[in-house]
Amino acid sequence: MDLLINGRPTPLPDDRIDPAMPLLWVLRDVLQLTGTKYGCGIGACGACTVRLDGEAVRSCVVPLAAVQGRDVRTIESLGSPEAPHPLQRAWVLHQVPQCGYCQSGMLMAAAALLARQPKPSDADIESAITNLCRCGTYPRVRAAIHSAAVAIGVPPRPARPAAPPPAPPPSPPLAPPTPPLSLDGAAPSPARGVAGARAGPASRPE
Amino acid sequence: MRRRTWLLSAAAAGGALLVGWSVLPPRARLGGRELLPADEGEVSLNGWIKIARDGAVRLAMPRSEMGQGVHTALAILVAEELDIPLERVQPVEAGRDAVYGNVAAFVATLPLHPRDERPGHRTHAARAGRWFVAKLARELGVNLTGGSTSVADAWLPLRLAAATARAQLVGAASLRWRYPKEEIVVRDGLLTHPIGYHAHFGVLAAAAATTPPGEVRLKPREGWTLIGRSTPRLDVPAKSDGSAVYGLDVRPVDPPGALLFAAVRMCPMLGGAPQRVVNEDEVLRRAGVLRLVRLPPAAGSTAGVAVVGVTSWHARQAVDALQIEWQPPPAGTADSAAIEAALEQRAREALARDGGHAFHARGDARSAEAEALAAGGRLYEATFRAPYLAHAALEPLNCTAQLRDGRLTLWAPTQVPSATRTAAAHAAGLPEEAVTLHVTLLGGGFGRRLEVDVIPQAVAVAQETGGRPVQLLWSREEDFAHDFYRPAAVAVMRAALGADGRPVAWRVVSAGDAVLPRWLARTMPALATRVDLPDKSTAAGLYDQAYDVPHQRFAHVATESGVPVGMWRSAGHAHNAFFMEAFVDELAQAARQDPVAFRLALLTDDPRHAAVLRLAADKAGWDRPPPPGHALGVALHESFGSIVALVLEVSLGTPPGDGRARVHRAVCAIDCGTVVNPGIVAQQMEGAVVFGLSAALHGRIDIENGVVRQKNFGDYRLLGLADTPPVETHIVPSVAPPTGVGEPGVPPVAPALANALFALTGRRWRELPLRW
Repeated sequence: MDLLINGRPTPLPDDRIDPAMPLLWVLRDVLQLTGTKYGCGIGACGACTVRLDGEAVRSCVVPLAAVQGRDVRTIESLGSPEAPHPLQRAWVLHQVPQCGYCQSGMLMAAAALLARQPKPSDADIESAITNLCRCGTYPRVRAAIHSAAVAIGVPPRPARPAAPPPAPPPSPPLAPPTPPLSLDGAAPSPARGVAGARAGPASRPE
Repeated sequence: MRRRTWLLSAAAAGGALLVGWSVLPPRARLGGRELLPADEGEVSLNGWIKIARDGAVRLAMPRSEMGQGVHTALAILVAEELDIPLERVQPVEAGRDAVYGNVAAFVATLPLHPRDERPGHRTHAARAGRWFVAKLARELGVNLTGGSTSVADAWLPLRLAAATARAQLVGAASLRWRYPKEEIVVRDGLLTHPIGYHAHFGVLAAAAATTPPGEVRLKPREGWTLIGRSTPRLDVPAKSDGSAVYGLDVRPVDPPGALLFAAVRMCPMLGGAPQRVVNEDEVLRRAGVLRLVRLPPAAGSTAGVAVVGVTSWHARQAVDALQIEWQPPPAGTADSAAIEAALEQRAREALARDGGHAFHARGDARSAEAEALAAGGRLYEATFRAPYLAHAALEPLNCTAQLRDGRLTLWAPTQVPSATRTAAAHAAGLPEEAVTLHVTLLGGGFGRRLEVDVIPQAVAVAQETGGRPVQLLWSREEDFAHDFYRPAAVAVMRAALGADGRPVAWRVVSAGDAVLPRWLARTMPALATRVDLPDKSTAAGLYDQAYDVPHQRFAHVATESGVPVGMWRSAGHAHNAFFMEAFVDELAQAARQDPVAFRLALLTDDPRHAAVLRLAADKAGWDRPPPPGHALGVALHESFGSIVALVLEVSLGTPPGDGRARVHRAVCAIDCGTVVNPGIVAQQMEGAVVFGLSAALHGRIDIENGVVRQKNFGDYRLLGLADTPPVETHIVPSVAPPTGVGEPGVPPVAPALANALFALTGRRWRELPLRW
């Protein structure tokens, strides 16, 4: 079974795959794309929001069978440290996140909104952003979406005569299929997970 | 430990012990270099600060980042004293030495009245109690993030650690360049001398480590360039691109694919247990399913089972497919409606005979009542109710564990690292030295992660995976069904108003389950006492408010209903502020006075409270009529050392009477002492308004036959973006030491809403949630 994740064909290891498996768990537990979060499992909270052919969907209720051959985009491909998405710039400008757990989903829902409606009204934002945030970042989410919309609407002024756009960074493959291991005697496992650590699979600007 | 326990009991019992006092030297928490291991190219200067080769600063970070901005706030304290740009201070994991313990959190458990703690008027008992508990807490060194205490706790020790490091760096530069220390300038992470010498911290770090600091002075307030400014948080970029690592994002990667996943199913009846698994063999034959592990009750949890699989989904599918026969708890199943009714009866009985534990009493409230009545005054009584609530942090409970070669490694999003280590060691039968804990970012805490119930579960599963790491994750449904809920509470409030409408006597009895003693027993069994101490955590928010009423008796009846209860963002203040401030509004109405003016008249001795209330009222336009169909409601509350006033502008929605009140605007004022980062204060006030409105409008947990009825966000509603008003935050300038910020915004929300609803409807609102 092959998927198109963040613009790259991605093979899946057969031993862990079931067509009924929700996309969320394939992303997180098979492909190690952990930016997309689990919050409720019933499509109610939006922490797992990704874009499917451009539309915001809740990946915890989208079975793998339904995404075959379609364009799946996750938070990891929204921008890059070198070229953040205007929404990510606005998120920093407005200091949106608190605990941050819901923010991947918020950003993907907001990106889908701006793609469809480049100048959203308050009402547009209210109907598009139904994601839950327990920390209460909503006022800043609203302000940051407006701010990103303005930034996208203003064409960037080149400071110098047009230079060729920078080449996208090389994209290492997503996590390769891994051999099944026995329950007995695995090798040592250093892990990511230190507070504040930044890690994650390489991503590609959208 | 028995002696320590006794000391704590003695101190908490009211500070009757006069043992003398002195200011404990904050240097006791500086810690030696050996506490902060230096990696390649790094030099440790003390227990908190080490310098990287490129001159960047690494700060030992014991506190958990759960959205409150603590990693940034503590880094600011260090960057300020070291004169280095904030982004060059990187938080790194702190070890487990006692210097990293949270002393302020323990001192805050003393049931003192703020009146006994005023600067310059602190009573002997308050001073002795504080001294005693601080000394004890320093000895115990318990690391926890809670009670809005992190900045208050770090304020002196952390700045002193940074200032000491700076003095050593300056001393090293002085020795190397042979110019007096006074001529060395530190700016932007560089040491310079006007003659042309310059070096970054990394160049001089090794020399600094052996240079005595000499006299260490903290930077004067006038010299601050970071403290008090809205500096961007350090964690925002990683939280905007998906790279921030929470508990369930931990992915041990070597060898690839070693990580296993576990899902849990606990007995749906709180306190019950699985009796028999009917179809174990059949479920274990499924593809991707590896083990079934029984989970005994531990650290307050309900017993259950876990299934290990190759992904969380495989594990979840399997655990859901299990047919399990459950047995109810031996003590019988809980029922929230019956518990709430019993609470009211207990409170009424206690009021009638002046029972319960009196947390504050002055004058003679009972006689004053009678006198006021005889003199033409009036008696006013009302009963208030609050339900059980769930925390509903967006990251469900989880813990990743690996048990190999006699060593246990844990990755946990926890507010209590010390207790987590102890619980894990106990569950694994290992000494604590054999446990390595990595605290990840927390996808919300709100008090839920002050519990360690998930830790023994993860250890039990890791014992069955042959050395492979395993990530145990609760479903959202388990998270709702097995929380440590905010306890249901009732208060019977009674006031006598003089002929002039001014209250002369208050008698109040509240009732609800005790939290602190049970929590101590679950998380720090060594500290738990046999006899329950007066539990301030559930009584706070009533007895400790500023209003100057000459005769008062505030008592609390601590109950134990069998429902697991815990700390919920602002603990007792969350519901007690609703009782208090809705009641005060009723008294204002009875006295035919404006709610703000009525409160101000009771705050003549409390200028800080009055200033906060006036600021919020001014900014909200209290004296102007609100738009047609709208009304303003106000509340004022002191908690965690800070004072917050909140004005909400509310309507009944369009069309009116659709069942949902709409909040159009929130205006907060806060006095939280010295502000480290006003941007973070504003964030916390915004978040508190949303958190408080979710509870006030929708929050309710019902328990029937021991089973929690609410399952997921469909029936435990949270406020969404569309219903969230703009929130303004106004900060009262202060030079007092910093106090709490993460929680104090929550308590005034429910009463401000109730008071606005009264103004709109003429009906009094005495029960949460405020169902319109």
